[in-house]
Amino acid sequence: MISLHNIVKRYGQNEVLRGVSLSVAKGEVCVLLGPSGSGKSTLLRTINGLETFNSGEIQVGDVTLRAEPGAARDAALRQIRQRVGMVFQQFNLFPHRTVIQNVTEAPIHVLKRDPEEARQLAKTLLDRVGLGDKCDMWPSSLSGGQQQRVAIARALAMNPQAILFDEPTSALDPRMTAEVTSVMTDLARSGQTMIVVTHAMGFARTVANTVHILHAGTIAESGSPQQIFESPQTEVTREFLAEAKRA
Amino acid sequence: MDAGTSYSPRPHFGRAPLPAFVSVPAFRSVLILRALAIVGACLLWSIDLQAGEGLKRVLQRGILIWGADQEGGGPFVYPSAADPNKLEGFEVDLAQVLADSIGVRPQFQQGQWEKLPDLMERGDIDIVLNGYEWTPSRAERYGVSLPYYIYELQLLARKDDKTLTSWDDLINPKDGRKKRVSVLGGSAANDYLEALGDKVQIARFDGTSDAMRAVELNADGVDANLQDLPIWIFYEQGFPRLTAIGNPVGRGYYVAMVRKNEPELLAAVNKAIFQALQDGTLRKILAKYRLWNTTQMMRALELNPNGEFVGDIDGAKSIEVEGEKATEETFHAVSGWEVIRQRGWLLTQSAGMTVLLAVTAMPLAILIGLIMAVTRRYGPWLLARLATAYVELVRGTPLVLQLYVIFFLLPEIGIAINAFWAAVFGLAINYSAYEAEIYRAGLQAIPKGQLEAAEALGFGKWLALRRIIIPQATRIVIPPVTNDFIALFKDTAVCSVITVVELSKQYYIQARSTGAIIELGILTGLLYLAMSYPLSLLAARLERQLSPDRHI
Repeated sequence: MISLHNIVKRYGQNEVLRGVSLSVAKGEVCVLLGPSGSGKSTLLRTINGLETFNSGEIQVGDVTLRAEPGAARDAALRQIRQRVGMVFQQFNLFPHRTVIQNVTEAPIHVLKRDPEEARQLAKTLLDRVGLGDKCDMWPSSLSGGQQQRVAIARALAMNPQAILFDEPTSALDPRMTAEVTSVMTDLARSGQTMIVVTHAMGFARTVANTVHILHAGTIAESGSPQQIFESPQTEVTREFLAEAKRA
Repeated sequence: MDAGTSYSPRPHFGRAPLPAFVSVPAFRSVLILRALAIVGACLLWSIDLQAGEGLKRVLQRGILIWGADQEGGGPFVYPSAADPNKLEGFEVDLAQVLADSIGVRPQFQQGQWEKLPDLMERGDIDIVLNGYEWTPSRAERYGVSLPYYIYELQLLARKDDKTLTSWDDLINPKDGRKKRVSVLGGSAANDYLEALGDKVQIARFDGTSDAMRAVELNADGVDANLQDLPIWIFYEQGFPRLTAIGNPVGRGYYVAMVRKNEPELLAAVNKAIFQALQDGTLRKILAKYRLWNTTQMMRALELNPNGEFVGDIDGAKSIEVEGEKATEETFHAVSGWEVIRQRGWLLTQSAGMTVLLAVTAMPLAILIGLIMAVTRRYGPWLLARLATAYVELVRGTPLVLQLYVIFFLLPEIGIAINAFWAAVFGLAINYSAYEAEIYRAGLQAIPKGQLEAAEALGFGKWLALRRIIIPQATRIVIPPVTNDFIALFKDTAVCSVITVVELSKQYYIQARSTGAIIELGILTGLLYLAMSYPLSLLAARLERQLSPDRHI
């Protein structure tokens, strides 16, 4: 469904991604773990073009995204972005739109859906994330956990083939983290393809199909949660897990 | 002949005493104003400005400060072509003669023409010497000298304009369309045309050469110019497409003016003028500038050998309001509630023009500013640089210059634009640079995540800007933009340089013609306040409502 081949990204002399390859199957929940600065967020953001890369290529379904800027890359990005949703650490809801308008904005203006249909869908999705009663509120009047659930509904409204989560619970306290994790777990159970960058070990252990440990711009180890957490093969993974346990 | 009595402030005149030289009991309001002015001035210059001290002051200082406007000032006072730091003109020579006669040095002081009497009242200058025509109202308010020139008014039109070849064409246009005539605002030509009633439209300019250029370019539909003959003689070569129409009309007198309460200074000035007339100095000076003509010669400046004024007073008055001598002779300053009643509505109407200018120009300014800000931040490299250059250019040059360029340059390249739209575009362009900077700050204040979120949802850049970024930036910029709107209201006053009569200009016109500087000034201030204060309240309210943590 999504595969990355040998992605390299440099900032000047500093190589932040050193030829990363991975693939995610349809319905798979893929979790990227690693210490700060390991390049996991950057890697995630190359998939929908929020970050450029210097070489390698990304395949999303039948669309191929290459490093070279130009019309071909722009066209590929347009298609990828309509198929792949994203949820951000800081939610990034549109503060000048109500909750339901946040969810209907892209279907109406990007996909040109009928506004009434889009509204019906948005209501269903907001019900699904437990916010059916907040439709006409302003984002700023919601808690962080509620805002992040609206953001998930906003991504779902595009009926995406996959959703990218960029540290979705890092800005939340434990109670709100639980709200959001529970929504994400439901999504995973329903067969949604997801790539998740997170520090939430619990989520990785219980929901992920595959876990990748990133370190200094490369994948240090990949495997099922059981393999990674029970019998880590590399020193990097062991150190990371020990560090995470102390924190 | 004893100079001391001959040049007293009370010479005789042909028929009736000329108010200029007679100390008729001044009208009360003028007295009050003058008293106020003097009290105010005395606080600052307690030694200099006591009544009757004028000549003494000049002698003590050893300098006669004379005020004139060198802007479009030929042949009166103008920067010398050879050395622009030097002044030339028959009034420069005349000032030298006056100062020599008093025994001091002349010193020139620049002032905007119509504000020269105000400068004199402020105490900045001793004497106004700048083609001021004798009028009853000036004679009433100032110490007015013997005439030093008999001027006439010349009608000018385009050589190729077959519809305007005589005065009759002007007053009874064959195609029925009223002719538009430019004049210097507040000049005798202005009064002459106003006396014609509504047979012609008057376009008032701040500069004499502007008024002629407007005819050449047909700017703002100006067909003709009524110009002081000396000015036309001076500028004729510079306007090859213009021609004189008919004979000169509206004879009148150029006089020097001093403060009303300085008769000794006036007597000294009169003595010098008379001397120059008798010994041929004045004739030489005028001849030097091609101004000595049959009118001057035959009328001999309308003085008898005793220095007594024998001029045709009715002729002088006919310049003011032809066929309405009665009202002329009973001219008096208007003040108090009377002037508010008389002129208040005119001012209020002009406030309407101010509002119209502001509410038309501001939305345009915001639109252009937004386009520039977006281009700078999100546009391709070349366009972004051009937008930056635009903002810097517009921000770095004064509004008055921009208005001037639009008004006079566009017709030059074949784009007809009337004064109102030139003013609107000038204001809009000027303010667009500031709105661009405000919007730039507004766009910068939107977190990067907003654009990323929109892009991740498949928004193109333009759609993201239109739906997500610009609406948020607009909320941020509303308070500063409202502030600028208030500033623009006041900047509309500058548009009078391109003849738009808005509130400030109307105030100057009305205050000068009535003397009610204070009353009308207060009314004008109140009108401006009535326009800007509601906006201030709105700005404050919006600022509260749109503070970052409220989203209504």
